[in-house]
Amino acid sequence: MPKRKFLGEFEQVVLLAVAQMRGAGYGTALRRDIRERCGRSATIGAIYATLERLEAKGFVTSREGESTGERGGRSRRYFSLSESGTDALRRSRDMLDSMWDGLDLDAPADSEGLEVA
Amino acid sequence: MARATNPRGTNRPAPPRLSGAILERFSRLRYTGALLGDLEEEYHDRLGEGRGTFRARMWYRREVFRSLPSLAAHAFRAACARRRNLKRGDSWMQSLLQDIRFGLRSMRRNLGLAAVIIVTLALGIGANTVLYSVVDGLILNPFPFPDGDRLVTVGTEYPKLGSQLNFVEHMSPAEYVDIRDNAETLENIAAWDMGNRQVSWGELNDNVFTGFFWGDAFDALGLAPIRGRGMTLEETVAGEPVAVISHRLWQTRFGEDPDLVGGTIGVNGNPFTVVGIMPPRSELYGMDLWIPMGVSTDVFPRQARQFQIIARIADGEDLESVNAELELLARRTEMEYAELEEYQGWRMTAATWTDANVRTIKPAGYVLLGAVSFVLLIVCSNVASLLLARSSTRRQEMAVRAAMGAGRGRLMRQVLTESVGLAVVSGALGVALAYFGTGAVADIVAGIPFVAGAVELNTRVLVFAVVVSMAAGVLFGLLPAIQDSAAGLGSTLKTEGTANTGGAGRLRLQRALVSVEVALALVLLIGGGLLINSFARLTRVDTGFEPEGVLSMRLTLPWEEYDDVAIGSFFQNLEEQVGGIPGVEAVGRGAQFPPIAFAYRRLATEDLEVTDEGQLPVAMTTLSSPGYLEALGIPLLGGRWFDDTDTPGSELVAVVNEAAVARMFPEGDAIGSRLRVGDDDESPWLRVVGVVGNTLNNGLDQPAFPEVFANHRQVPGWSNQLFLLVRTSVEPYGVLPAIRDVVRSIDADQPVYAIRTVEEALAASTAPRRVAANVLTVFAGFALILAAVGIFAVVAFAVGARTREIGLRVALGAGARQVRMLVIRQALVPVVIGTLIGLGSALALSRLMSGLLFEVSGTDPLTLTAVTLVFGVVALVASYVPALRASRLDPVEALRVD
Repeated sequence: MPKRKFLGEFEQVVLLAVAQMRGAGYGTALRRDIRERCGRSATIGAIYATLERLEAKGFVTSREGESTGERGGRSRRYFSLSESGTDALRRSRDMLDSMWDGLDLDAPADSEGLEVA
Repeated sequence: MARATNPRGTNRPAPPRLSGAILERFSRLRYTGALLGDLEEEYHDRLGEGRGTFRARMWYRREVFRSLPSLAAHAFRAACARRRNLKRGDSWMQSLLQDIRFGLRSMRRNLGLAAVIIVTLALGIGANTVLYSVVDGLILNPFPFPDGDRLVTVGTEYPKLGSQLNFVEHMSPAEYVDIRDNAETLENIAAWDMGNRQVSWGELNDNVFTGFFWGDAFDALGLAPIRGRGMTLEETVAGEPVAVISHRLWQTRFGEDPDLVGGTIGVNGNPFTVVGIMPPRSELYGMDLWIPMGVSTDVFPRQARQFQIIARIADGEDLESVNAELELLARRTEMEYAELEEYQGWRMTAATWTDANVRTIKPAGYVLLGAVSFVLLIVCSNVASLLLARSSTRRQEMAVRAAMGAGRGRLMRQVLTESVGLAVVSGALGVALAYFGTGAVADIVAGIPFVAGAVELNTRVLVFAVVVSMAAGVLFGLLPAIQDSAAGLGSTLKTEGTANTGGAGRLRLQRALVSVEVALALVLLIGGGLLINSFARLTRVDTGFEPEGVLSMRLTLPWEEYDDVAIGSFFQNLEEQVGGIPGVEAVGRGAQFPPIAFAYRRLATEDLEVTDEGQLPVAMTTLSSPGYLEALGIPLLGGRWFDDTDTPGSELVAVVNEAAVARMFPEGDAIGSRLRVGDDDESPWLRVVGVVGNTLNNGLDQPAFPEVFANHRQVPGWSNQLFLLVRTSVEPYGVLPAIRDVVRSIDADQPVYAIRTVEEALAASTAPRRVAANVLTVFAGFALILAAVGIFAVVAFAVGARTREIGLRVALGAGARQVRMLVIRQALVPVVIGTLIGLGSALALSRLMSGLLFEVSGTDPLTLTAVTLVFGVVALVASYVPALRASRLDPVEALRVD
């Protein structure tokens, strides 16, 4: 059982990438996806460290894929979103949504508005 | 890996090897392989995009190094999680199992060392277990009586008679009744006298050590007979012909006949009904037959003190309150019987039955137990020293484990698990050794007279063995554990290759251990030396008579069949016929003979000068015959000894020893004076006709006691129980069959018993000392060898550690002699320190041994000097051998050693 209910930002990003790839996500592919979507360059080490942490928490599952000569004979490992991973993403989004609710950062600062939130 | 071939068939360079290896080494990821595969895949993609090999490789390297912080963070988190898990119980067990597996592996790697450790430890633990089984069986729990803390006996001492606290044959029936009827702190009080009875049953006709009881001792002992019942108080008072026999007698003489209870046996020719059989090992003083006393207590005079009592402390009372009440009773008796002078200041003291009976062997037992624990301590320091020497190989392993996240506690636990594991294996082996050892010791102990209890490996002894093994494991493992785990945390990885640097701390510890060993061994050697010295003096002591070649045996004629005259003629006849047996030089009879005496009586002389210290005159009174003096070889100093002119009708005569002259006739006018044995005015006067030399009649370690001899030919009715003493010119036991024939020809029903030579009697009287001296000597020898091995090992290790330095010295011109001196000088420093500590401890501890010493002070300078010299020589030899090796080092070779 996961101890922490909320995900860290990078964890969220990685988890969303896994979800986007729908089971076809592996290290390099996920990294590329993140870079393309966020413009953020994560190291492959960080990706894997996070994936393993998420797997330990039960948010993702993984399976061994094919190995090729290009990979030096090493298999790919594909990650996919688990049910509790889906729940965790929902909770994160709900939390953020409720924090964003009624907030317009472009509007001039308004103490009353903040009070309403 | 070299160049990999991609699926398209073209040769492309492989990614940078070193970077890949670094990542592999530092990563604690499960999917490190997949990660490397991803990297390589992208690397090849980049190559395929034609960006150039150099840039692709640079990208690869950069990618690896940028990943390292994440990987390190991940590894750190994983290590923390592992530690958290370790703190939970189940994983604690897991890690213990891991430790044990690891320990076994490292033991396998060092089989020789493990074997040496296990064997020496097993010897140490085995010896401790055997000794503890002796102490447990003979001193702590010699008796099977339940709730033994509340089973007491009452001793008395009479300052007026110069007597010391005595628990055996010391109380009169009247004194017993005083306690039985008045003491409220005691219950189930029983008293008994001891003697011999002939038991007949079918073919069996045997003399049996017998107790004559008042009250049912089974109530007091808290034991029920295993068959039948005990005696009732009424039976003991009325003297009903009922008997209880020991389990031992039932087994050995009655063939465990199940129908014996209810059956009839002959006791001195009278039919007695066997009503009960006692449980095993419950004999009191080795009595095999219990019968009622059968006369009322007032038949005996108040001073006929030949009884002992046993009782239970009443509920709600304790030993202290019992003694307080006994003190009151004693004072009341003193006032009530003011005319009996010996009651002035007399004391009654209750002690537990166990304490009262182990008094004589307790000091020896504890000294030996202390000694054997010293041996184990020496073994432990030796083993610790060996383990410290091994730790040079150990430290790198520890360093690696420390680098991988093992904490200091974890490392210490690993080392301790190993040492406790070694100790447990040794303990098992030690108990196996002890199993055989206790068998051998039990046989020795069975040969010592008046020692109750049995030596066996029981649960208490096994618990002791387990505790000792565990303690030993922790003890000898602790120093190496501290040392190794400290090494592990230091930067030992750096010192790889120079295994001996950093050994200075270890060497210091090893030297300290040598000091400890030397001190312990020296204490043991001094103790052993003092005991041997004492024992040698004791065996060389002038006994005052010639015990060689004298056979002794005892006869007890039943009063039922023999009157005064018949007793006299039986023994006279016996002496005359035995005197005619070839090989017999002299024959006499006596109620007792040195070194053991039982009959002490009050004495009166005509002048009745009460003595200097305000004590009443007391002497051993020994019935004897004309042949007694020659049979024992006691010198006549003045006057005459008994001869054929002394008859029942002539004037009663007595002979006294020198001690009696000094005590009772200080004017030197003994011969011609008259004296009287006993307290009452009716006793006849005896005329002193001679003076004989002192013998050590009160034990070899005590001065001669005043002794008065009376002639049994004149007063045969004074005793029906005497020893026959036969001096032979041949092997003493050689004449035994002929003597038995003579006895049989006079009265076939009279058994001869307690047969042994006087030399054997002397040896038996010193048996506890002899055993203590021998055992302690063996321990001391063992300790000396262990200490020598310890010194040798440490010096050898020190030489090994300093090989380079010594080589340098030789290269710079140091001679062989100088090198030897250098090594020995260093080796002897801890020996000298240990010697000083040992001498100091021995002086402090010698007080505990004073009771075991004879004519030797605990600080005997001769023993101390001799032992120190012996030790010095052994230490020199032990350090000389490695020193010699050091002085023969080839400097070129030595300097190459790293």
